[in-house]
Amino acid sequence: MANIFALAEQRGGELRKVALEAVTAARTLADATGGGEVHVLLVGAPGIGGKAVTLGAHGADVVHVCEHAAFVNANPEAAAALAAALLARLGARAGVFAASAEGRDLAPRVAAKLGVGFASDVTDFSVAGDAIHVRHPTHTGKVIATLALTGTPALFAVRPNVFAPVTNAKAGRVETIVPPADPAASRVVVKELRGGGKAKLDLSEAPVIVSGGRGLKAADNFKLVEDLAAAFGNAAVGATRAVTDDGWRPHSDQIGQTGRVVSPDLYVAVGISGAIQHLAGMRTARTIVAINKDKEAPIFKLADYGIVGDVFEIMPALIEAVRAARAQKH
Amino acid sequence: MSPSNIVFVLFVIAATGFFALNVQRLVGYMRIGLPDDRTDRPLSRLGNVLGIAIGQSKILREPVAGVMHAMIFWGFMVLTVGTIEFVLDGIFPGFSLAFLPTPIYRLYELSQDVFVLLVLAAIAFAFYRRLVLHPRRLEGDNLEHADALIILGMIGGLMVSYLVANGFLVALHPDAVAPEKFASHILGGVFAHVSPRTAHLGHDVSWWTHGLLVFGFLNYLPYSKHLHVATSIPNVYLSNTSGPWQKGVMKAMDLEAENAEQFGASDVNHLSWKNLLDGYSCTECGRCTAACPANITGKLLSPRKIVVNTRQRLMEKGPVVTGDRMEFTHPMLLHGEGAAGGAVTVAEILDERRLLDTFITEDELWACTSCRACVQECPVGIDQLEIINEMRRHLVLMESRFPPEVQPTFQSLERNGSPWAFSADDRAQWAEGLEVPTMAEMVERGEQPEILFWVGCMGSFDDRAKKIAVAVARILTAAGVKFAILGQEESCNGDPARRLGNEYLYQMLAKQNIATLDRYGVKTVLTSCPHCFHQIGNEYPQLGGNYDVVHHSTYIEKLLADERVPLGDGDRKSLRVVYHDSCYLGRYNDVYDAPRDTLKRSLPVITLLEAPRSRDRGLCCGAGGGRMFMEEKEGKRINIERTEELLATGADEIAVACPFCMTMMSDGLKAKESTVPVRDIAEVVAAQLSAQPRAGQRIS
Repeated sequence: MANIFALAEQRGGELRKVALEAVTAARTLADATGGGEVHVLLVGAPGIGGKAVTLGAHGADVVHVCEHAAFVNANPEAAAALAAALLARLGARAGVFAASAEGRDLAPRVAAKLGVGFASDVTDFSVAGDAIHVRHPTHTGKVIATLALTGTPALFAVRPNVFAPVTNAKAGRVETIVPPADPAASRVVVKELRGGGKAKLDLSEAPVIVSGGRGLKAADNFKLVEDLAAAFGNAAVGATRAVTDDGWRPHSDQIGQTGRVVSPDLYVAVGISGAIQHLAGMRTARTIVAINKDKEAPIFKLADYGIVGDVFEIMPALIEAVRAARAQKH
Repeated sequence: MSPSNIVFVLFVIAATGFFALNVQRLVGYMRIGLPDDRTDRPLSRLGNVLGIAIGQSKILREPVAGVMHAMIFWGFMVLTVGTIEFVLDGIFPGFSLAFLPTPIYRLYELSQDVFVLLVLAAIAFAFYRRLVLHPRRLEGDNLEHADALIILGMIGGLMVSYLVANGFLVALHPDAVAPEKFASHILGGVFAHVSPRTAHLGHDVSWWTHGLLVFGFLNYLPYSKHLHVATSIPNVYLSNTSGPWQKGVMKAMDLEAENAEQFGASDVNHLSWKNLLDGYSCTECGRCTAACPANITGKLLSPRKIVVNTRQRLMEKGPVVTGDRMEFTHPMLLHGEGAAGGAVTVAEILDERRLLDTFITEDELWACTSCRACVQECPVGIDQLEIINEMRRHLVLMESRFPPEVQPTFQSLERNGSPWAFSADDRAQWAEGLEVPTMAEMVERGEQPEILFWVGCMGSFDDRAKKIAVAVARILTAAGVKFAILGQEESCNGDPARRLGNEYLYQMLAKQNIATLDRYGVKTVLTSCPHCFHQIGNEYPQLGGNYDVVHHSTYIEKLLADERVPLGDGDRKSLRVVYHDSCYLGRYNDVYDAPRDTLKRSLPVITLLEAPRSRDRGLCCGAGGGRMFMEEKEGKRINIERTEELLATGADEIAVACPFCMTMMSDGLKAKESTVPVRDIAEVVAAQLSAQPRAGQRIS
């Protein structure tokens, strides 16, 4: 019976998907170590406490809420102090973070404060006697390392999109905590978060990416890609370098060697031949679907499913099929 | 001694003395640069002086402005003899070169008037060009234009005063001027009617004007871009940018040096004295910038600005660090942009300002494709690229500053030995079905190949370039060449890392490759990529790797010349082909003919077309210098500029000899929605092979 700690990330007053993933992972771990309590730390601007219910629904037994105006944006220094104090007070067996930009900043600070080890980018974990074993990919995914975390608390950060959030019919108890020091006095202050354009799903977090290449012929035809992404509901839109070079899409949408490197569950390549520059950015996607008129296109060597044909015929049909499939599901 | 004679002697002493002080000052500044040995190859260097400086070979690459400059330059060479006679005559009245053998002396007398007229004509055209034609490459601020006009005016004044002085002398004593000085005699005829008193006065005034101009010109030089008059010949001698030895090799760097605190350059004292002499030698002609692919397509980079900035920074830092007392004399070259709005303070010069950031921005440095067009064009042997490379090294090694999109490339080079995150295990996948043996397999059989085929990362991983690797392998097999590849033991040669300033990463890769090659006792390496070719052949010797490296264009051309490649009757269709020169094959290694000859030998009916910018003037594809792994957000894309130029030749097909050029041209053709194919020369030859090797045929 050991308590497990998890940190819930929020942005703009909304819980991030990784928060639910971390809580789900903590719940799993708590159950595996004998059914201890899951204590979740939620820090944010005043009003964030309202989100505690959602955390409870995903397995949190106790949600420790700390509201302060200085937590409106990420505040790694003050949040790390709170997390370290809470971990110590609970005598927690383990602490789960998200391997997001924020989590990667925060978790090592907590580990340093407590003088324990920390494993990042964890894709799996198990309990082995006194130790907690975690697995994390290294050398660009060629090697999976298994690490034994022997210290207490065992701190690790879970890779986004690996632990699917699971609802758990528990109504978490909410405790309000007061920060020991003024969070506004942090040496690190995040003043502003600037997005790369309109509000949309972040490419690196999206479970599905629909990406378009020059095979779409014109900027206007990108509507097909957007429509397919919208049909999936949880998809982001990506593009090749040729497309962003031509200004059809913003540079921030580019997937490839000089753009974003992504590994979604599903990657749909529309009118993309598969130049090495592009493959370098999406080859680790779990499932790749390619649509291209040239059956010799290199993308087909990498794709799990390939459709040879005219994107202007295939895309409308595919959009309809995805819409229908989702409508049936709901 | 007459009073005027005494005045002249004192004047000469004062003028040469002041000039000597300035020379001392400028040499002092130059010495804040790092050492660089240029005492090697004296004969080759003299050859460069004869061809490039005296022969004006690079100046004459531009026909109109070239002839104009050559006239002025050769005029100066010839007229300097007359000036020496003139000065000696002023010091020792009555001195003349008449003691020379008569035919030589008469030729000398004739040459003076001939060249005075030629120089005058050239100066008149120079005025016209600068004031009326306004060529783009002469763009500059008012100060720069004023400087140029002052110099042109001075040279014109020297010529006119010479003629007028001689004209009045003819009017006074027709026999005192040799008949060979025909122009002086014609002018003498014009002055024949003036009174002897006026003629005397006219002669003395123009004689003194000439004398003042000679020494005025001399002392104006150190304050002007026209210092090149004095520095360009030594600069050509000391330059490593042209000639029969290896060009474009980046400076060796000792990363293990215990007390090294600075890698690369952020300021003038991190550059070599030769880079600083380059600054003195630049006369801002702009030929480098006019040839720069980045500048042509609207990027910030201007190689001329890099060199001019180096001089400007030296002129503000030099006086401060050398404790020079003459800085008051060079306001023209000081930048009046101190923080307080006035002159720059000493504290600002030392602590806040430097060459990087204050003068040259990061964006300019990253825009460079390392194509060497600037270096190739410079008529006085300036190495703009070395300054850029040294500054990139500083950015990466000292400050970790580089475009964010380069990070994955560095990371993959480090972890995967390739710019892309592909596994080394897959390196030989392109050869599946061809049964190309690896070095390890061959050694196990107790055999040694004739050559090692270095496939390169493009040939190993890029789908398009894999076809080039296959073509090379098929040609080698057909010609019965015994060869092997390294397979998964190969890794990137390091060129992208080195050109991107990451010397540390480069040396790691290079040393690993040298260890592999030496372990197998490799002597001859064949590459299908000019970057591998240049790097392994010309830059690995710095790290102790010495191999005979040959590019596939040269190798295949030789096989064809020796009739070792069984060509079929093939396709007898008439083809118009335009070949795109690779920078690292051409300007870096002077390989221009082999790829063209390969095409001519292998295609039965071919018309080889040339783009306006070809051979050593070839326009870069845009991928060199690590640009392949960077975004090109500003201006027009270089590959589009080049593709349009190649398409405008009306060619049926574009030929390349570099996988990077292949990518850039393919992308350009796609963007232009053109159906013109682009093929590597190896693919062209492979398509003409008569007997295709059976699948699974054992090679060797």
